Amino acid sequence: MKFRTYLLDKLYAILLFFFVHFVLLLMLLAFKSDPALIYASTLLLYIAFLLALLIDFFRRKWFYDEMLRSLSQLDQKYLLVEMLKNPSFYDGQLLYQVLCDTNKSMTENVRNYEYSINDFKEYVEMWIHEVKIPISSLLLMVHNHPNQFDAKVIHQIKRVDNYMEQILYYVRSENAEKDYHISKVSLNTVVGAVALNNKDDLLENNIALHVTGTDTTVLTDSKWLTFILNQIFNNSIKYKKERDAAIFISTEETEKTILLSISDNGIGIPSADLPKVFQKSFTGYNGRIKSKSTGMGLYIAKNLCEKLGHHIEAQSEEGLYTDIRITFLKNDFYEVLK
Amino acid sequence: MKTILIVEDDNTICDELSALLRNAGYAPLVLSSFKHAKEEILSSSPNLILLDINIPYLNGELLLKELRQTCDIPVIMVTSRNTAVDEVLSMSYGADDYITKPYHPTILLLRIAAVLKRYEQRSDIVTYHDISILPQKGILKKEDTELLLTKNEMIIFMYLLQNQNRIVSRDELMTDLWNNHEYINDNALTVNISRLRGKLKEIGCADAIETRKGLGYFLL
Repeated sequence: MKFRTYLLDKLYAILLFFFVHFVLLLMLLAFKSDPALIYASTLLLYIAFLLALLIDFFRRKWFYDEMLRSLSQLDQKYLLVEMLKNPSFYDGQLLYQVLCDTNKSMTENVRNYEYSINDFKEYVEMWIHEVKIPISSLLLMVHNHPNQFDAKVIHQIKRVDNYMEQILYYVRSENAEKDYHISKVSLNTVVGAVALNNKDDLLENNIALHVTGTDTTVLTDSKWLTFILNQIFNNSIKYKKERDAAIFISTEETEKTILLSISDNGIGIPSADLPKVFQKSFTGYNGRIKSKSTGMGLYIAKNLCEKLGHHIEAQSEEGLYTDIRITFLKNDFYEVLK
Repeated sequence: MKTILIVEDDNTICDELSALLRNAGYAPLVLSSFKHAKEEILSSSPNLILLDINIPYLNGELLLKELRQTCDIPVIMVTSRNTAVDEVLSMSYGADDYITKPYHPTILLLRIAAVLKRYEQRSDIVTYHDISILPQKGILKKEDTELLLTKNEMIIFMYLLQNQNRIVSRDELMTDLWNNHEYINDNALTVNISRLRGKLKEIGCADAIETRKGLGYFLL
């Protein structure tokens, strides 16, 4: 709070004071008062007025400076009210009261949205679990009555299931704290589960799968990693090249990290699209020509990776290959604990 | 024949699951009353239980906890809830495996077979007619002749042997191979089977593996 600006703000009072003083001076002179009385009263008036101004200024300055400092230091600006003390001057008290009231109303409003979003999320999760029951029935039916149903039906059911998983993990990635369990996970097991899950698609599309170096463990959540790899596999299958398609899974180990690479020899990603593949709803050129893309798979995968503390990146050359690389950190602390 | 008890409240799944298990050579039973689940399970004493978590009265996890106090029948949890909490809870209450819906039917059968096998604790040496098999070493032995099988051939042969009384589809063999981290394609499976036939012929078992057109293979 600047004194000059404050004075400018109080200009009306200062002008009024000068005017009144001028009139008073004229009156005193008109009554031929003692010059000593004129000097003394002038001095007294000036001291009193200046003192009143200064006291008023500093009371405000202390309060508003404190408020501005808190505001600049706060990470969540809306918490400002919690940091303020009720000021000693009247208009400040009014302001404080108003801030408290608006803040309270805002908190209630936000809480309402929070509740309704959580309700919705819970409903979505429950609903997905319900839908999985008829999906299981369908898979069993197709399997038990191969003459009545075409194997193509399985493919479509799998697609439904995959979209189901996507939304489930999307909902979960938003409040991830409640559902993950970091442990030592064998890459062999996870890759095996993902391969088995995509077996029919891979065989049907004549995509060879080469797995090397997965005899190692990483610290992660096995369900989430399975989901992430599944999304990457889905992309590799969707954007395969016409002949001799293949997926290569390999690992590289350094002192502090384990890198898992899932690469394919598919149609690749145009270099202009590459930096954006992990963005929400980004479909890019490939997504448009295949027209079956939601642009959510890799976005959710990246989200989950960030929550788990893994690093995920994409390398690609159009027409040649796509390589998705996930870096897991080794944790010395975990080793010591063990 | 091994009996498998299905504890599941969705009727369609019960029916289809029963059909699947029957085709795979098991005797399926369906739990009829959830109110007296524990008593009914104990009185029917199945070889294995497929237990859903979301069932009426007592949920699956609690039922499992109750069951484990009196018996150690192998239990596979089959559920559509796939949160980490449910899985950890089920395993800590003594489930032998945990499968989430929707599962691939052949994968379910593989997991059932694996759990049953673990409980039987069969010895390492298995025999087929007068041939003794050492799966770990990949060796078939008949009197003094030893025959070396590749990993893939051994997986196929063992699967056929474990399901000797029925027709095994190519999809099942393929699933078992992929389950053992051998990601081979259709042609390779054909090649492996014909090589296996050749090797069995060397050891005096020509025509042991019969092809049933459109259905699969049958080990005589």
